[in-house]
Amino acid sequence: MKDELVKAIKEALDTGKASAAVILTEKDGELMPRIITDAKDSALDSIYTGDRRYPMASFAMMLVPVIEGNLALPVRECDRRMLVELKKHNQVDTDRLVLLGIPCSQEVADACGCDHPFTANGISVSPATAKPAEPSPPPETVSEDSEERLAFWMDAFSRCTKCMGCRNVCPMCFCNDCALDNLDYVSVDSKPPDIPIFHLIRAIDMSDRCVDCGMCEAICPAEIPLRQLYRQARAIVKEAYGYEPGISDEKSPIEMLGEPAELAGMQEGSRTE
Amino acid sequence: MEETLEKTDKTKPPSEEDVRILAFLCNWCSYAGADLAGVSRLQYPPNVVDIRVMCTGTISPYFILKAFQEGIDGVLIAGCHIGDCHYGKGNYMTAKRFRVIKDLLVGMGIDPRRLRLEWVSAAEGQKFQEVITTFTEQVKAAGKSPLTKARDKK
Repeated sequence: MKDELVKAIKEALDTGKASAAVILTEKDGELMPRIITDAKDSALDSIYTGDRRYPMASFAMMLVPVIEGNLALPVRECDRRMLVELKKHNQVDTDRLVLLGIPCSQEVADACGCDHPFTANGISVSPATAKPAEPSPPPETVSEDSEERLAFWMDAFSRCTKCMGCRNVCPMCFCNDCALDNLDYVSVDSKPPDIPIFHLIRAIDMSDRCVDCGMCEAICPAEIPLRQLYRQARAIVKEAYGYEPGISDEKSPIEMLGEPAELAGMQEGSRTE
Repeated sequence: MEETLEKTDKTKPPSEEDVRILAFLCNWCSYAGADLAGVSRLQYPPNVVDIRVMCTGTISPYFILKAFQEGIDGVLIAGCHIGDCHYGKGNYMTAKRFRVIKDLLVGMGIDPRRLRLEWVSAAEGQKFQEVITTFTEQVKAAGKSPLTKARDKK
C-alpha cells in the first residue's frame, strides 16, 4: 500500500498532472500533514499510510485556491464523498484535484462501522478488499419514551466542554460565519455551552451534508455520541426526500429554493408519539 | 366602564405558570389574517407572542431551536397557502425544512405537539383564531417545556 501510494504521488508530480501533493507523515506518534512539490522530497520516505484518519478534504479547500496547477490528494472513500458534497456547495474545484484512493483495510472499516469502505471509481492506488461492516444494531439508548430520550441527550450534551473539536475537524463545517460563534445563539460564558441548541445547530446542518465519516465522534473528548445524532438527522432527510449526501451530484432538496415537493405529511412530520 | 373592566380581566396577560407560545407570521398572509381576527374582535388566548417575518421561507431552523432554548413552550409557523406565496415558492422551502426540524426535535424527545405549521391567508381571521386556540390547548396539554426544567437542573 505504502509503495503504491508513493509511486502514484511521484508519478503525478513527475508527469505534471499535479504541482503539489499533501501527504501525512508521522513524528513521535503524531500525524503531521506536509505539502510536497518535488517527487524527490525526502518526506516521502516517512509517509504514513496506517489506519488513522485525517480530514484530507479540508486541505483541498485550503490549498486549491492558493496553488498553481493541480493538487494530488490521498483520499479514503469518506474523504471523496466529502469532496462531492463540497463541490455542490462551491467550496472546492474538484477538477483541480488528482485523487489517489486509499482503500481501507477491513479493520478500519469495522472500527468505523463503515458501510462503504471503498468504491473504486478508477482512482484507487491499490485494489480494495474491505467489505462493508455489519450494520450496527440501533443503540439501546434510543428509547421509545420521549422523556428518556431527552434525558439521555441532555446528559450527553451536558458533558460538552465546548472545545469546538467537532466543528473544527469536520470538513463539511465550512461556513465562514459560523452560527456557533454567533452570540445570539450560543453565549460565551457558560460551560457546558447552551444545550441543546449548541449541538442541534450542527445536527440540523449535518442532516443533508454529513457523510458519516465519524471523525467528530472520534475526536470528541467528552465522548458525546455525535455520530448517532447526525445519523438520526440524516435518516430524516433520507426518509422524507430520499436524499443521501455524498452519493451523487444531485443537490440537497432542502437547500434548493422553492422546488415543488411532495408535501404530504410535511406539516405533521413523520414521527408522532 | 364596568364592561371594559370585565373585558380587560378576561384578556389579562398570562402568568408565569402559563404556557408561552411563539408564532412566526408571514407578512403577506398570516399577519394580515391575525390583523383581521383583531379587527373582527375574535377572542383567542393571550399566550401567543408573534414575530412578523417577510416570508416563512426566511425562518431559519436556528430560530426554532433558539425559541426552545429560551424556554418557549410551543412554536407556531403560519404562512401563505401553498401556491399563494408572495415570493413564489418560499413556503415550499418552509414545509421541507419544517419536517426535518420537527422530526429532529421529536427524536430528541420534544413533544410533537409543541410545533405546528399552518397555512393562514389574509382572509382567514376565523381560521387564525381557531389555530391559536387549538394550538394553545395542544401546548397546554403538553405542559411546560421540559428543556426549561432540564436546564434549571443543570
